[in-house]
Amino acid sequence: MQLSLNEDQQQVLDFIDSLARPYAGVPLHDVSLALENAELDAALIENGFLDVMAVEELGPVTAALVVEKLARLPFAVEAAASTFVRPLVAPDLPRPICLVEEDRMGAPLRFLRPGATVIVIGPSGVRSFTAEEEHIAAAQEDTLYAYPVAFLQTTPQTLTTHTVDAAEVLRLWRVAMAAEAAGLLGAALASTVTYVSERKQFGRPLATFQGMRHRLAEDQVLTNSVYWLALRAAGTAQQGDAALALLHAQEAARRVCYDYHQFLGGMGITLEHPLHLWTYRLKLLTAELGGRGEQALAAADALWG
Amino acid sequence: MQFEWTVEQDAFRHKIRDFLASNLPDDWETFSEHGPASPALTAFAREFCVKLAEAGILFPHWPIEMGGEGLGPWEQQILAEEMWIAGEPRGGQYMNVNWIGPTLERYGTPEQKARYLEPITRGESLWCQGFSEPDAGSDLASLRTRAVLTDGHYVINGQKIWTSYAGLADTCFLLTRTSDDRKKGITIILVPMDTPGITVRQIPSLIGEGDIHEVFFDDVTVPETARFGQEGQAWEIVAYSLRNERLGIPRFTLARAALDRAVQMLKGQERFRREAVRIEAARCAALCEAAGTANYAVVQKRVDGLAIGAESSSARYATVMAERAVCEFVIEFLPEALAGASSYLKMHHQRGIVAGVAAGSAEIQLNIIASDVLELPRESR
Repeated sequence: MQLSLNEDQQQVLDFIDSLARPYAGVPLHDVSLALENAELDAALIENGFLDVMAVEELGPVTAALVVEKLARLPFAVEAAASTFVRPLVAPDLPRPICLVEEDRMGAPLRFLRPGATVIVIGPSGVRSFTAEEEHIAAAQEDTLYAYPVAFLQTTPQTLTTHTVDAAEVLRLWRVAMAAEAAGLLGAALASTVTYVSERKQFGRPLATFQGMRHRLAEDQVLTNSVYWLALRAAGTAQQGDAALALLHAQEAARRVCYDYHQFLGGMGITLEHPLHLWTYRLKLLTAELGGRGEQALAAADALWG
Repeated sequence: MQFEWTVEQDAFRHKIRDFLASNLPDDWETFSEHGPASPALTAFAREFCVKLAEAGILFPHWPIEMGGEGLGPWEQQILAEEMWIAGEPRGGQYMNVNWIGPTLERYGTPEQKARYLEPITRGESLWCQGFSEPDAGSDLASLRTRAVLTDGHYVINGQKIWTSYAGLADTCFLLTRTSDDRKKGITIILVPMDTPGITVRQIPSLIGEGDIHEVFFDDVTVPETARFGQEGQAWEIVAYSLRNERLGIPRFTLARAALDRAVQMLKGQERFRREAVRIEAARCAALCEAAGTANYAVVQKRVDGLAIGAESSSARYATVMAERAVCEFVIEFLPEALAGASSYLKMHHQRGIVAGVAAGSAEIQLNIIASDVLELPRESR
């Protein structure tokens, strides 16, 4: 057991910090519902941050740390699937990577656009195709989710079959989502803490009221443990750990998204505050892989048969 | 980062398991359903801890200069996990090796170390904590048990309550008031429990026989040398001790073991096929593992030689959530477990429901997290 960051991990995180610094702030009054940044994406690719899984001295725990770190940014980055799933399925698949379960093809797909790779996972195995205009329904301009999302309206007749274990792809998908949720939870908590520490009502900061303090403290406990369960799931490579990590992340997201918008009051309903960038991403992640009930059943299967 | 135990750590765990398998009686599981402070388990622990000491696994995590092997925090954690899952055959002596010994070493006089450490290392002493009072629970700093220094002796008057182990303890780690300066007016006195003027009364409880007491001090007189640390130093010393104590009992391991036991019972009765049961069981497992990793993150800080701060409160609260979830799971899906005379699940319930109250209430942990982890502006009082 050794839970401190090693030197390599610290270096990677420091490097991401400096690279992402120009993107850490939100352009005030220019906040669309789904923020992306092509320059940031290109910089991450160029510096190899989405390829850390394959680097022997870095590996899956470092990959989880990278995904968690990037999820804290106000800009949505397709890092999770590219970092965790793409290396297993085929490392040269074009990004962004969209993951979809065979029996949920109608779900809103994050980052779906022409040129993206759609990986379909299910009883038929693991298959993929490159999305083209004709496969994608009209762009969703009014999404609330703070990710770019689109729907598949059709799929090619022939998909590329990959000879990889679908269960292993599902495991990595869960780890990837848990790590992304951990970062979103961390950023949403920090953002809320700053607001309620400064906002005064009844002549004192909101954060001095115990009704709020205790809920925020419980949210911290959840956020902290989602982080550790995500890293552990990456490290142990166990199906049960992956399902528990995403289950806990989805449970936590339901709880904290409600709390944080309550605590921000009217401000939390506007787009003038960036809170929604993290909470509405979290809300979409609560639907990932069928939601918490499905993760719970997967965990029960893995733990107890 | 490495989430697996090392070969050496696994070997250490197996050494403890082997010892338990060889030295616990055949009827141990039934026997251990007595509360950890019950007369039966206390008497058993007095013999068992001597054997542990002889085998070198009573305090192997202590530094070499204290007579330990200097094995460190992970081994302390493994030792505590195996003992707690087994029903804590050390009884109340777990406190000795977790925090009383190290606190004596750090703050005690040479005479106090000579008097108290050796019986601890032989597995022969039992302590109780004289902290809470009828009007000073979470608000511990308002305690009123008074110690007055007269002619080289402290004369103690007052009352403690909810005191574990008091009925059979040799010594009380007693918090007293020596001045009216709230936290700065509290002083620790180490009081032999056979001192005249001490009356112990057992309080019937939900958590088993012999666990909870009230203790009365009527003109209890001890020499000034029984004072531990300086007058007014108690708050600093207790804060140091409690940071160890909050992680002292790895409750999440027993919660997880009880959950696994409950699932096996449900499977045996063909009642684990229902999705509602499976989903709730997994939610409990997630909370147990969440508490486990949060606790381990704090242990790592100890390994790295870093000061333990408010993150121990966060780990503790995660543990309270896990304990609560498993207790509720058992009642919802195996209600018969608490209706019978004794069972492993009843034993877990009786130990688990204390998690949010002992070693600082859950709400106090939330206060600490809010102020010291989230660094929210201070609450108005």
